[in-house]
Amino acid sequence: MDPLDGFGSPGREAAAADSRSAWSRFSSWLECVCVVTFDLELGQAIELVYPQDVKLTEKEKTSICYLSFPDSYSGCLGDTQFTFRLRQSVGRQGFKDDVYNRDAPVTLQRETAHFFGYVYFRQVKDVSIKRGYFQKSLVLVSRLPFTHLFHSMLQIIAPEFFEKLEPFLEAVCNEIDQWPPPSPGQTLNLPIVGTVLQIRIPSKSDKPGGSPVRQMTKENLLPAPTLLPTLHELDLFRCFQLVLIHLQMLWELALLGEPLVIMAPSPTVCSETVLALISAISPLKFCCDFRPYFTIHDCEFREYTTRTQAPPNVVLGVTNPFFIKAFQNWPHIVRLGEIKMAGDLPKQVKVKKLSKLKTLDTKPGIYTAYKPFLHKDKILIKRLLKGIQRKRPSEAQSAILRRHLLELTQSFIIPLERYMASLMPLQRSVTPWKTPPQVRPFSQEEFLSTLDHTGPQLTSMLRGDWMGLYRKFFRSPNFDGWYRQRHREMTQKLESLHLETICDADLLGWTKDKSEVEIVDLILKLREKLVRARRQHLQVKDGVLDKLDAFISSIVGSLPEDLQSVLNAR
Amino acid sequence: MALRELKVCLLGDTGVGKSSIVCRFVEDSFDPNLNPTIGASFMTKTVQYQNELHKFLIWDTAGQERFRALAPMYYRGSAAAIIVYDITKEESFQTLKNWVKELRQHGPPNIVVAIAGNKCDLSDAREVPEKDAKDFADSIHAIFVETSAKHAININEVFVEISKRIPVADAAVGTSVKGFKLGRQASESRRTCC
Repeated sequence: MDPLDGFGSPGREAAAADSRSAWSRFSSWLECVCVVTFDLELGQAIELVYPQDVKLTEKEKTSICYLSFPDSYSGCLGDTQFTFRLRQSVGRQGFKDDVYNRDAPVTLQRETAHFFGYVYFRQVKDVSIKRGYFQKSLVLVSRLPFTHLFHSMLQIIAPEFFEKLEPFLEAVCNEIDQWPPPSPGQTLNLPIVGTVLQIRIPSKSDKPGGSPVRQMTKENLLPAPTLLPTLHELDLFRCFQLVLIHLQMLWELALLGEPLVIMAPSPTVCSETVLALISAISPLKFCCDFRPYFTIHDCEFREYTTRTQAPPNVVLGVTNPFFIKAFQNWPHIVRLGEIKMAGDLPKQVKVKKLSKLKTLDTKPGIYTAYKPFLHKDKILIKRLLKGIQRKRPSEAQSAILRRHLLELTQSFIIPLERYMASLMPLQRSVTPWKTPPQVRPFSQEEFLSTLDHTGPQLTSMLRGDWMGLYRKFFRSPNFDGWYRQRHREMTQKLESLHLETICDADLLGWTKDKSEVEIVDLILKLREKLVRARRQHLQVKDGVLDKLDAFISSIVGSLPEDLQSVLNAR
Repeated sequence: MALRELKVCLLGDTGVGKSSIVCRFVEDSFDPNLNPTIGASFMTKTVQYQNELHKFLIWDTAGQERFRALAPMYYRGSAAAIIVYDITKEESFQTLKNWVKELRQHGPPNIVVAIAGNKCDLSDAREVPEKDAKDFADSIHAIFVETSAKHAININEVFVEISKRIPVADAAVGTSVKGFKLGRQASESRRTCC
């Protein structure tokens, strides 16, 4: 029998154990599903939230309402899909289980302070409605950045929902509540209203640069499961087709976390372009705020458009031309127009001076004074343009783009990783009788001096001022985020090594000639270390934690009874 | 050995025992207090049939009226449908006839239909004579069995009968999976009526 057979995988007992009513499986994928409608009196309003007991604050609800409809509806007859991201209200509890975040690549980690909204908006003429139009959005709200998965799901469920209404949504949510939890590195079957989506969530230990779904025995499956080749990747070529010749500049702007506005004719284009930009620096995590679709109703609108301070490190996707005015003091604005073909090629936008920004009727272009540190890769551009002429499929063009961006980011990041690794103390300096040694501090100058021999020129053909790019990168939130992450990992590694050496040490022998105070101190310190190790899901050799537990109880047992009861009571 | 995935859906009135049948088939267990299904449950079980492995992808649909409109999503693309009624409830047999009609009109053209008269352990309270149901099933060329999920009667048999009626896979494709070995024999326990 197939070991994965049964009620979903893995096993139904686990599901039954963690109280079905709490929607625990559902909430490891989605926060909730919302239906947003246009009410003649209220304007945009939430018609339905599922599960019904999900807690959204009024502020979150208002944001979801505004962000779930295109800014101006007129241009969006038919069905429109796009993505937004909103800030969670202060005081909301974070997601408890961080095992997923430990094992997932940093770029796919669960959001802690934001939600994504994946929107399917339908607008069709309907004479039976007073307004003359049927306007409704089905929105999947999640902490997970699985753009492709959730939009594929919406394509399956949204059209059915608009006909079958609430019972359908109830069914969908109950089916999601039977899904296996998102586990990095595993191929998962996700049943959804009569079809099965098969996905693989990449794992941190995967080689970056592709997450192919393992092809199962594909022969003669009657209703083959729908294989989703990716959870999160976008069609980069489609997203960047109007700005291909400026790819180098856009990559640098994303890498440096520069304040950037993408203005596009539709929420679909602006949200996909923002998400594509964010993903362009993968495997680095984009650590600044980004809003694939942002409107003037957004709670952060004032915060982000204030002129009293420098623009924040945010990437915003907008459609409303009014933003040209609101963002006049921003350093980089990309205005995308409709796709115009110049012969075989999509007409590329030009770089323009910021002073050329005119209100409302501003022409497509990249409005910036930014000069890229690195030269553009002309061979890549030629190759892509030739691909267009030869009608190379969009997926193949995207694969070329993705590979290029990955190699570029890796060339940039490898010297940093190498230097960071050199800051790790030697393993032999970890001893059981001392606190673990600390990671040496990061010195920018010391790092820059390593570049002559082991710089990005080893892996990249691109010429230019790499040094200048690193200097600027050190001041960006993306460096800060990367450094903190690495530092935390290294500190945890030291902590694991320390626990393992303690485990191998002769602790009982040590206690023989020690006073009670010293022994109690040892017990308390060890306990604290164990609690922290478990909370952080620290990866230590099998049995280490259990052995230390056993050790603690045996020393406690050797102490006088009054002390024992005090120690056990804690 | 070739592996074939077969989508199977269960249809029928609420409370006739669709989930119990699936539960017995997949886990060989019975819970008299199962909650009514919302939407549908999805389960899989792989069994050996002759020189093939049949992996049943089972969609156990909700019987409640408010979910009725969702049924097409589950029988779409199904290789087989098991329509269940309760032998102690005449009404559930009438509902079954409606399901047959709907499948004939909107279901996949070659769908294998199996009719299961469940709760055959409660023959004292029987309202639907076995012969009536059998005649009806024959008239539409459907598989027919009376079952008891509670006492594990004829549950595996329904699926074996379905396997028998599934058109043979293309011989050329059927043998193409190389080096695939079965770890264990698929379980197939026979139980007889009491």
